[in-house]
Amino acid sequence: MTRRELLLRSARLAGVASIWAALPARTWGALPAPAGWSADEEKALDLIGDTILPETPGSPGAASVGIGRFIARMTEDCFAPEAGVALRRGLREIETAARAAHGRAWLQLSTAEREALLTAYETRSKPATAGGVNPFAHLKRLTLLGYFTSEQGATKALRYDPVPGTYLGGFPLAAGDRAWAQ
Amino acid sequence: MRRGRGAFRFVAMASFPTTPGAREHTYDAIVIGSGISGGWAAKELCDRGLRTLVLERGRNVEHLKDYPTAVANPWDLPRRGRLTHEIVSANPIAKKCYAFDEATSHFFVKDAEHPYQQEKPFDWIRGYQVGGKSIIWARQTQRWSRFDFEGPARDGFAEWPIGYEDLAPWYSHVERFSGISGNRDGLEELPDGEFLPPWEFNTVERHMRGGIEKAFAGRKVVIGRCAHLTEPQPIHLEQGRGKCQARNLCYRGCPFGAYFSSVSSTLPWAARTGRLTLRPNSVVESILHDSATGRASGVRVVDALTRQVTEFHARVIFVNAACLNTNLILLNSRSARFPAGLGDDHGLLGRYVAFHNYRGSLSASMDGFLDAYYRGRRPTQAMMPNFRNLRRQETDFPRGYMVFFSAYRPGWTQGEGTPGVGAAYKERITQPGPWRISMMMQGETVPRRENHVRLSSEHKDPWGIPQLVTSIGYTDDDVRMVKDFLREGEAMLTAAGAKGIRTLDDKRNPGLDIHEMGGVRMGKDPKKSLLNRWNQLHACPNVYVTDGASMASTGVQNPSLTFMALAARAANHAADEMKKGIL
Repeated sequence: MTRRELLLRSARLAGVASIWAALPARTWGALPAPAGWSADEEKALDLIGDTILPETPGSPGAASVGIGRFIARMTEDCFAPEAGVALRRGLREIETAARAAHGRAWLQLSTAEREALLTAYETRSKPATAGGVNPFAHLKRLTLLGYFTSEQGATKALRYDPVPGTYLGGFPLAAGDRAWAQ
Repeated sequence: MRRGRGAFRFVAMASFPTTPGAREHTYDAIVIGSGISGGWAAKELCDRGLRTLVLERGRNVEHLKDYPTAVANPWDLPRRGRLTHEIVSANPIAKKCYAFDEATSHFFVKDAEHPYQQEKPFDWIRGYQVGGKSIIWARQTQRWSRFDFEGPARDGFAEWPIGYEDLAPWYSHVERFSGISGNRDGLEELPDGEFLPPWEFNTVERHMRGGIEKAFAGRKVVIGRCAHLTEPQPIHLEQGRGKCQARNLCYRGCPFGAYFSSVSSTLPWAARTGRLTLRPNSVVESILHDSATGRASGVRVVDALTRQVTEFHARVIFVNAACLNTNLILLNSRSARFPAGLGDDHGLLGRYVAFHNYRGSLSASMDGFLDAYYRGRRPTQAMMPNFRNLRRQETDFPRGYMVFFSAYRPGWTQGEGTPGVGAAYKERITQPGPWRISMMMQGETVPRRENHVRLSSEHKDPWGIPQLVTSIGYTDDDVRMVKDFLREGEAMLTAAGAKGIRTLDDKRNPGLDIHEMGGVRMGKDPKKSLLNRWNQLHACPNVYVTDGASMASTGVQNPSLTFMALAARAANHAADEMKKGIL
């Protein structure tokens, strides 16, 4: 059953079937590419996001939901200019660390190498001072937001329940059950 | 009588009820404002057979049609609910409201749209549209108890001209129509209403209730009461409203009409009588006073878009512009009889403004209960009715507070605070985290003469109306109340078995509670108050004020249900008085 059918059925049960016809069926689609960010930078960001949240059984990795473009675009749209500066600094630091440790570019590293590098980078990165931006915390925050609010992330990595119908205060949780999407 | 300004010739002609123009501009009743109380006034007046004009300063909003984000999935929102830096920077006040986001910002006034002067910091959150803030309210609906009405006189700072028994039938009246869910708890300090089935506690909240009630005699934990249709009755289906689906996306407007708002309920109902005229984009500049009759004769309106000035006339006028704008309109309604503002004979108008104290909050965790979860997004929390100074003064601050709390298990948001990357990290943060608890206060503040609003003598708004100056602040008593709540909250969370308790005084500005009240207060004594027991101006009885401005004190309960009951009661009083020929 599609989401719209489900909603229609709920509405009919509620005795207000006609309302869906009146609602604007409005979707916006993906954001356009942000100005000033190259395809290579987006690719590097994609791989950072995919290292934080890789493909696992049943759900894709963050690169498959276009996390690189999301991180760049959100940084431009929703943060003060310092965040963009910090994000570029983070990309440079990750690239430098890749070359120092492995003699290869970030994009050329294996999964294990990328995970080790980002783990070390997170451990080393200092908490942001007042008004400052911690590049890794920024990357992680936007990776989580972009992935878990994407259709794939919300419906495959989590449980998405757009029209719960009611609230059950004693709903059980079995081992391995996913959290609800927002 | 009329001011004979040449520019308003056409309008002036309209004051003679024999001309066709006059008939078009004359109604039985005018309601200023279409929010939660104005909607109720309009519904009751129309139901009683009165031709009613509702003036709304904002744009039109139609139920369903004008909820562009109501069924948007998270991924349908380009910025996933977040606001752009541009909007945040341009709205230092509005951005503080928890409900202002990418999916709802179209229902909030942007800072630049309606400037005001803050003599003391006041975060004025506004919703200028048909439906007003009833589209974006938090929907918690407790009745006031007799302690809320009687306490101010006991403590000597205000005297309500009505008691619980006067309002109880009107609470029932508005509850049946609006649809209020709640449990019948049988508490004198939180009277029961005409309830639809209650929402459930979750496992940890039920556990906490046991711990708190056992450790603290006389303290009660109940499930919140809210304006959501948990089981629609015929009266709700007749309004075209359906059952709440526990989506908790209410601030976008509800596609099921499941929570109460003016646009989902009272205004369409009033329109169906054929007696309602709804006029959006109509900024009321002032109420006109006729010295010959001693009554208000109508209102002067500035068109929000064209700035054209028009006058409308009626036998009774309801002022429901929301607390501070109701004050502003009355202050700006100056005449030979009332040089300081309509109804003000004793320098009281705009004074004794109060609000709710929300500064204190706590967070904690709860070990265990790892096989328990919940399903759905509940539109309310656990509530604790006031247990402070209820029957006598017991603390070093006056009045009391309600407590709200909820328990939840964080989902992916726990990822930010969890170190790590990769498959194991992803696996961990996609499973519900350990239980967390949040707790907050809602405290009564005492209306004081110095907490006031007045008109600016220098600054005007885009419609040529003087801007409002806000001069509203906390007292040491308010700070003592915050400290008491944080101390008691910690003790109760400890008794409930919580761990890692953190307390916070966020020192927020008054106003962010969005529970501002007073300035045109009710009272017994015309020398000490502006409104009588029916919400009529003592000095101009065909003007009723039935929104938050009329409140003589704030109580501890969420206020909207009381505004609704006062508005319905006053509208029926007006209809009775008109029938008798008194008004």
